[in-house]
Amino acid sequence: MKTYILQRFIQMIIVMVVVMLVSFIIVELPPGDFLTTLREQLTEQNVDPKVIDSTVEMYRARYGLGENWFFRFGKWAWSLMKGDMGYSMQHNRPASELMGERLSLTIWISIATLVFMFVIAVPIGMLSAIKQYSAWDHSFTFLALLGVSVPSFITALVFLLLSVTLLGATTVAGLFSPEYVTAEWSWAKFVDMLKHVWIILFIVGLGDTASTIRVMRARMLDTLGEPYIDTARMKGLSGAKIYFRHALRVAINPIISSIGLRFPQIISGSTIVAIVLTLPLIGPLLLDALLGEDVYLACSILVVLTLALVIGNFLADLALAWLDPRIRFES
Amino acid sequence: MNSPPDTDKVLDIRNLQVSFSSIAGATRAVNGVSLNVRSGEIVGLVGESGCGKSVTIRSIVGLVPSPPALFEDGEIWLRTRRGMTETLSLYKNMKALRQIRGRDVSMIFQEPMRSVHPMMTIGQQITEGILEHEVVDPAEAYDRTVEMLDLVGLPNPPAQMNRYAHELSGGMRQRALIALALVCHPQLLLADEPTTALDVTIQAQILELIKDLRERMSMSVLLITHNMGVVANLADRISVMYLGRIMETGTVEEIFKEPAHPYTQGLLASMPSLFSQPKTHLQSLRGVVPELAMAPKGCVFADRCPHVMPICDETPPVVELRADHSAACWLYDDVEASPGPDAATAQPSLGGDSTLGDASQRVEVIPLTKTEPTAHADQEKLADSDTDQLQIENVALHYPILRGLLRRQVGTVRAVDGVDLSIRRGETLGLVGESGCGKTSVGRLVTRLVEPSAGRIRFGADGRLEEITHIPQKEMKGVRRSMGMVFQDPLSSLNARMNIRNIVGEPLMLHGMAKGSAVDERVGELLEMVGLRAAHQSRFPHAFSGGQRQRIAIARALATEPSFLVADEPVSALDVSVQAQILNLLLTLQQQLNLSMLFIAHDIAVVRHVSDRIAVMYLGKIVELGNAREICVRPVHPYTEALLASIPLPMPGLATLQEMPKGDLPDPANPPKGCRFHTRCPYSQPICEQEEPPLLPFADAVDHFGACHFQDELHLQGVEEIGEIHGPAAAGGEE
Ligand SMILES: Nc1ncnc2c1ncn2[C@@H]1O[C@H](COP(=O)(O)OP(=O)(O)O)[C@@H](O)[C@H]1O
Ligand code: SF4
Ligand code: SF4
Ligand SMILES: [Mg+2]
Repeated sequence: MKTYILQRFIQMIIVMVVVMLVSFIIVELPPGDFLTTLREQLTEQNVDPKVIDSTVEMYRARYGLGENWFFRFGKWAWSLMKGDMGYSMQHNRPASELMGERLSLTIWISIATLVFMFVIAVPIGMLSAIKQYSAWDHSFTFLALLGVSVPSFITALVFLLLSVTLLGATTVAGLFSPEYVTAEWSWAKFVDMLKHVWIILFIVGLGDTASTIRVMRARMLDTLGEPYIDTARMKGLSGAKIYFRHALRVAINPIISSIGLRFPQIISGSTIVAIVLTLPLIGPLLLDALLGEDVYLACSILVVLTLALVIGNFLADLALAWLDPRIRFES
Repeated sequence: MNSPPDTDKVLDIRNLQVSFSSIAGATRAVNGVSLNVRSGEIVGLVGESGCGKSVTIRSIVGLVPSPPALFEDGEIWLRTRRGMTETLSLYKNMKALRQIRGRDVSMIFQEPMRSVHPMMTIGQQITEGILEHEVVDPAEAYDRTVEMLDLVGLPNPPAQMNRYAHELSGGMRQRALIALALVCHPQLLLADEPTTALDVTIQAQILELIKDLRERMSMSVLLITHNMGVVANLADRISVMYLGRIMETGTVEEIFKEPAHPYTQGLLASMPSLFSQPKTHLQSLRGVVPELAMAPKGCVFADRCPHVMPICDETPPVVELRADHSAACWLYDDVEASPGPDAATAQPSLGGDSTLGDASQRVEVIPLTKTEPTAHADQEKLADSDTDQLQIENVALHYPILRGLLRRQVGTVRAVDGVDLSIRRGETLGLVGESGCGKTSVGRLVTRLVEPSAGRIRFGADGRLEEITHIPQKEMKGVRRSMGMVFQDPLSSLNARMNIRNIVGEPLMLHGMAKGSAVDERVGELLEMVGLRAAHQSRFPHAFSGGQRQRIAIARALATEPSFLVADEPVSALDVSVQAQILNLLLTLQQQLNLSMLFIAHDIAVVRHVSDRIAVMYLGKIVELGNAREICVRPVHPYTEALLASIPLPMPGLATLQEMPKGDLPDPANPPKGCRFHTRCPYSQPICEQEEPPLLPFADAVDHFGACHFQDELHLQGVEEIGEIHGPAAAGGEE
């Protein structure tokens, strides 16, 4: 077990380092020195030359520009770890300022979507399998098929359309009511967000929830056909004990191990929805940065998202090991 | 009728009828089965697969999924702690049914590997059963579980409590499952093919355990099997089932000594036994079990019965032959009380070349020539072609064990560890041993499907022996033309997406031996040679039964007219009657084509039946080598003795008395020091743990080798041949 955790941990570190290296290479790739570009930009904006000099000097020191690449990478990585995300050319502001709230919101929404997905999909899938071919099963099989096949931006558009035409809403989009958008965080703002967030969870999570229902149903059916379930039945156990104690833990395994993979899916899925509904998430910012060749911003976002993904994966691995003795004993 | 049976019966099934509905309509899988089990009795329910045995036994405890199952008629009375209970009527009352399961009646299943929950410890799984039925505190449940694990013979029970399924071997899992089943002291144990998935030695251990527990826990057992041998030494009474009906019921002695029903007779004759005349044709049942929907009207056995009469269009009556012996067959309709002479004449004669025998093979097997091969003829043949076709010297095959991220090598499995063998032209060498001891690896080495780690392989396509140990694959392709290969699982060895013409013809095209319509022609010939229709060329493997697929695999192996055939467990996955048909086919073809053969199997009775010589393999080494019959009558290595002892003899009362090999096959990556068998050998001495015995000639016998330190002193028990008897059933007639 210990070696297993250690193994996974080392794997996680390796992935992180590789992603950072690649990002770093991309950052360094564009022709022309970053400092030259910065200086030009600032001059164009008629900034006081003294300020320009000091700003440029500050960045030179911070990123060790002019030193060898290894040193520069170290500096860059270190500043990333301290939360300094670099400088956005496009927006002319430090990247961390731009990402700020968006990042935490994105992570929270992703986690909430995951939870939403689990809470909805697992019981539905399980019940569909237990009551195979019942009306319940048929209706959810149909709904899940629908959910899988309709892209989330369509759902978002339909939602927009419906709320405008049916409810006559003027500001449907966004995470907050207009009066709170720029307001400071407060209890009222939080409550306001909760009012809006569920619909976003629904739209972003629909596809994943639907596919999870299908996976859960299929896995549960397979598991219920296993001979060890017959063994459990022959002990005289009740249905509930058989389903929850014996079948569920086997059936849910692949769903847990897919958490790590769901994460980037949710983020990319939410990007489209965020664009349609103008949500302050990280996705649109990343897209923007990529389109505008804003390398520092783009790479910082990538690194942070990778970190979230890798940690998610690691947690999923731990959960799996806790559930499944075969994994625990593997090493 | 609706009254409980007398209290002597633990189980009384009356006229059970179960159908399955599907889009194609309803088929009746169980059609009027009546069966009972008395106190303390072991009853065997025997029949080929698909005959409805599992559905019958699962109906007792409501484990048949409904829908699609429909319980159309019948009663199932079970003795419970609340008195006689009718369980079919309990289906609607799950709670009552659950109270019976595990407490009054328990069940063990065919696949121990998959019947233990993979994520719960053995201890959790067993105590769960106790806590479900009884009000005891967990500590007591724990103690009782440990006690039970001890009773079923698991070593170090407290340690087993915390182990998981994947840490136990198949045999250990089945023991754990038996403990689980019996921990609440049920009166009846239902066992659905409990040993079919296990190795012969482990099967023998488990059967012994069931027998022993029956006494100690004073319970009754209803045991399903397709292997007549399994019930011969275990059951008190036997019911033979075919296509949803009971064909014959009787005491084990009567069933084996005077089988009345032609189906029972056929099942018995199909089994190669340690008494049968080697290299002769088994009196196999013809054909295969038809689809339920295709079952004949009247007597369902009519299309395979050698005695079929016009009246058999009508459902035969169940005739009481004796007090405890009945058969459902028109042959006995007018006999009533005594089957006497009629029964005797009704039996197909099991030996020689009777016309009946030929008739019974009319459909599936090519008609046999009058001159069946005999041991005598073999010897002559061997004498005049005493040249070797294959020689392997000190051959080894080592597989690295890789672990971890970097696939580091952490050990070596010595699958084959220094083996010398030779096969003469026209000879069959049988290779026998438990699974995992390296038999398949030898087959793969010989055909160069794997690269040998050491040693030398020489093969003579048709002339001199030539070294093929390390020749490049391109050259090997030419050599392979003279080698055919047949594997265990006929389905996975045939490409499902190719039709039969391409499957069988592929080697021809590969070797440029035929093109276009010439392939069709040759494939047609080959198919007829193995007893299939030439016209079936365009079909796909899925359209064929297991036995037919094995015939296709044989046709393919013989396409290039090889002189040498490797057959790796070719009959292990098949039902007895089909197994007999395939063995007959191999024997016929071998004689017709003068093939040399390496025949690999785990069942020494099967190996003995087709081989001239036998090599016994244990953990990568040959431990005994000699003439097939000689080895079985006078084994010199304790492992051979153990293998012989594990073969359930199809003859009640003739249980072999030797000690069973203890425990499981050790880990081949870490074989015991000294004699590799010493951990399981009943005769082991201190020297055995130190020195590895070499393979040496045994005493004065030519051509008989053993690898035991004490082979000249030990007098091991083989299976005496009983005169010149030709079949297991006939052996009973000597009284
Ligand atoms: N759940 C099921 N649905 C449909 N048919 C079934 C089902 N279970 C068994 N059968 C059919 O019932 C027949 C008897 O099967 P089974 O009892 O498993 O035979 P056996 O145990 O003798 O091998 C077979 O034809 C099989 O296809
Ligand atoms: S009733 Fe007829 S067909 Fe059936 S087993 Fe007897 S003789 Fe054969
Ligand atoms: S050498 Fe010893 S341990 Fe090995 S088989 Fe002979 S008696 Fe048994
Ligand atoms: Mg069965």
